[in-house]
Amino acid sequence: MSSIELDTLGEVAKPVGVSEFLRGLAAAVPVQIGFVPFALVLGAQAAQKGLSPAEVPLMTGLNFGGGSEFAAIDLWTSPPHIALIVAITFLINSRHLLMGAALAPFLSAMPKRKVLPALFFMCDESWAMGLADARARSSFSMAYFLGAGIALWACWMVFTAVGAAIGPMIGDVEAYGFDMAFPAVFLVLLRGMWTGLRAARPWLVSLVTAALVYLFVPGAWYVAASALSGLVSSYLLAKQP
Amino acid sequence: MIDASTLLTILLMASVTYSTRALGYLALRGRTLGYRATAVMEAAPGCVLISVIAPDFASDKPASLIALAVTLVAATRLSLLPTVLIGIAAAGVLRHFLG
Repeated sequence: MSSIELDTLGEVAKPVGVSEFLRGLAAAVPVQIGFVPFALVLGAQAAQKGLSPAEVPLMTGLNFGGGSEFAAIDLWTSPPHIALIVAITFLINSRHLLMGAALAPFLSAMPKRKVLPALFFMCDESWAMGLADARARSSFSMAYFLGAGIALWACWMVFTAVGAAIGPMIGDVEAYGFDMAFPAVFLVLLRGMWTGLRAARPWLVSLVTAALVYLFVPGAWYVAASALSGLVSSYLLAKQP
Repeated sequence: MIDASTLLTILLMASVTYSTRALGYLALRGRTLGYRATAVMEAAPGCVLISVIAPDFASDKPASLIALAVTLVAATRLSLLPTVLIGIAAAGVLRHFLG
């Protein structure tokens, strides 16, 4: 049977979508293995900050942005500084704006009502997998993207919940060095964003500002001051192409 | 148990995160940004990540600072999982021996 015949038969569209979805699920397995330790650490840290085993998967399932959740838990107080956490969440996830823009040309043939729900499952990894697959096969497979995205989302939510449930049994995760997982994750993400010393100058401004404000001003002001100083310096240092 | 202020924080976090996913596709579709806006967009995630982990760089405990340096070196050459494992091991061992 030729592929043209397959394409014209409406009823085979679904099985093809299912096999593409399964291909996405399978491709996500190694990434899922990488997710598990972070999910456990995040859940355990969240439990230490007073979040319940129900609240943790609620956050990780609805928000689904690991970096912002690590930051939120890091800044968590009881009651939480809502405005600060929400602003940091937005800033950390602002990279999604660029990621969505990069996907847009591949999605132009698809209706918005299908794309918008699917974009909920766009994380760094599912985005990278979807784009790499689209480049290799010269067409974007929405079912593959969804398979990978949903597999990663479910894994993240389930294992952060497990982390929150067993965290209190493990005790103080800091004594074993587990808190170093946060900067480690962030440093690897930064390495991935590194495009050279020139482009990283605003990062240096952020780092120096953050350290100074952290040492001399009480509270969590260092985050806002540092992020803002970095953004302003990137605006001022921008070179016309 | 779900606390009201926690629930509100989570719902607001979820809304702003989803908005970043949808807006990039909706607003930037088929358009190009100016060079300053592009520069800010490119620098922003890095600046924010740095601002969150900055206190680690200002730690007064030698064990934590050395472990952070080890993690930093690992991050420049290894992928996510080995870097995290090395970071945790370095922090655990150094704190055990240096306090």
